[in-house]
Amino acid sequence: MPQVEPEQTRRPVPFNGEVYAEVLDFLYREADVLDQRRHEEWLSMLTEDVVYRMPVRSTSAHSLDDSLRTGMAHFDEDRYSLGKRVERFLTEHAWAEDPPSRTRRFVTNARAWEGDAPDELLVTTSVLLFRSRGDIREPDLISAGRRDRLRRTGGTLLLADRLIAVDESVLRTQNLAVFL
Amino acid sequence: MDVQTVIDDVRGGMIPAEIYSDDELFELEKARVFAKSWIFLAHESELPDPGDYVVRQIVADSFIVCRDEDGLVHVLFNMCLHRGMQVCRSEFGNTSHFRCPYHAWTYKNTGELTGVPFHADAYGGDAGLRREGVSLLPAPRVGVYDGLIFASLDPDAPDLDDHLGGFRFYLDFYLAQSSAGPEVSPPQRFRIKANWKIGAENFAGDTYHTPHTHASVVDINLFAAPKARKRKEGALYFADAGGGTTYKLPTADMRENLGSIGYPPEMIDRMEQVWDPAHRLMVGEAGFMPSAATVIPNLSFVHNWPIVNSDGLVVPFISMRQWQPISATETEVLSWFVVDRAAPDWYKAASYKAYLMCFGSSGMFEQDDVENWTSITQMAGGQMARRLNLNSRMGLTRAGETVTEPLDWPAPGRAFAGFGEYNQRDLLGLWCDLLEDSASGTAGDGTPSRVATLD
Repeated sequence: MPQVEPEQTRRPVPFNGEVYAEVLDFLYREADVLDQRRHEEWLSMLTEDVVYRMPVRSTSAHSLDDSLRTGMAHFDEDRYSLGKRVERFLTEHAWAEDPPSRTRRFVTNARAWEGDAPDELLVTTSVLLFRSRGDIREPDLISAGRRDRLRRTGGTLLLADRLIAVDESVLRTQNLAVFL
Repeated sequence: MDVQTVIDDVRGGMIPAEIYSDDELFELEKARVFAKSWIFLAHESELPDPGDYVVRQIVADSFIVCRDEDGLVHVLFNMCLHRGMQVCRSEFGNTSHFRCPYHAWTYKNTGELTGVPFHADAYGGDAGLRREGVSLLPAPRVGVYDGLIFASLDPDAPDLDDHLGGFRFYLDFYLAQSSAGPEVSPPQRFRIKANWKIGAENFAGDTYHTPHTHASVVDINLFAAPKARKRKEGALYFADAGGGTTYKLPTADMRENLGSIGYPPEMIDRMEQVWDPAHRLMVGEAGFMPSAATVIPNLSFVHNWPIVNSDGLVVPFISMRQWQPISATETEVLSWFVVDRAAPDWYKAASYKAYLMCFGSSGMFEQDDVENWTSITQMAGGQMARRLNLNSRMGLTRAGETVTEPLDWPAPGRAFAGFGEYNQRDLLGLWCDLLEDSASGTAGDGTPSRVATLD
């Protein structure tokens, strides 16, 4: 069962330090790059072995513990499939985002911990994606928690792993032609 | 709106645009289509163990689909017999009993009422309220084919096998690839602002949209062979409760054909074992591989075979989806991934990957489909749309003759090669039959006879 919250024994990265500022810089830059649909640049912020998952969320009895499903996801991506999705946006036939949505990602509640490897950090955030399409439809909101593994590669942080815990069991957006 | 005029126009292949948006018609569909036809709820493999349950809808009616301690599957209306509270409010789980949150009336996973607090004090025991033989309301009819659990709200519905008829043959390609049967994942669920019929029609037979709507997936080389030509050579079949599309495969040999789209030899061995000669003939000598399909009213299937990694590995996937109406202009899509239980683990992982890339909430095909369907629904809601009959006559001359002759077809039903809206017309023809036929075991308007705990 995937868990967003890291285990309690993990050592936190202090809020007032340089590393935390670097984490925020990465997260805000990433949100901006995605809002501006600079998808190729976004790919360059991911490691080659990136894992990008958004499990299906279901309403379960008594507890949230098993609400993130292991058997199905909205996204379960690697470098190849993310690359294909980005490549598709660059064609003239990706109607789902043509004309493009106007999106804004609100990334908050950032906390960071030391990772399992010395060059890695564990980061949790909340994200709210506002998506407005065309001039007729109501806008969509997608709310989620995220757990990221950031890896320092050649001096910069890259995203190595992202688990997205979406808060809706039934998505109220017509497709996920957007990244969270 | 005159329903008979709508029906006549639809049967003539000239579809009044408002059928994709009209509230009055949707009310009629709820009573005459969704309360009468067989509606898919869950696959048996979603309930592998005793006590497993999922909660599913038929339009506004919530049902618990559960496996009891003896392994039998029940479909129970999820409304407490006492005050009408929804008894089970999680979407899935495992339990021996369901307890209503309001006053704690408790039901076994057979539906039977076993617990009533203060039964003696409050009701005078069985003298006031009998528990034995009292149950959450079972769905009026339940039927299973290839593990697909269907229910009908019409007690006089024909048997499921008779209803599905020749279409059962085609279900086997998706759901009976070995004697082990398939594993069906939990569904992805998402809402789209589109009328439920548009997706159902599209999956039933719209090969004409593939070259343009899905041009992007060809642009990015997601497929080993260009799709458009194969689409045109494919057959469009329809048999009783449903119809679908096929791709033409390159040879007259079943093993070679299945191998060419990425099935490993051991899976082909199992298909050879379980498929009867007609199935083998269709995929072999005739060379047609089922792709998308719809069974009336709102269950669809898709089967395709993209490249799943940078080494160029081609792997097929199968998905089932239900177009669950919320209103005339909104639909919840439930999209399941299906894979043969006996398939090797590497295949299951690769096939899952293929599914996620192509269909479902993030699928690169489905994203673009939905863009079209929401737009149609939006456009159909205006006044001008009430003056427009959409042309769904592809494959017919103006005199009403088919442009091409039906194929000499080795399988149930009829089939045509090439592009044509034969299947969409046949699917909506069944919809017309349901709308027109108000006679049933219910009171004609879909009102069932009453059921109560007091006898």
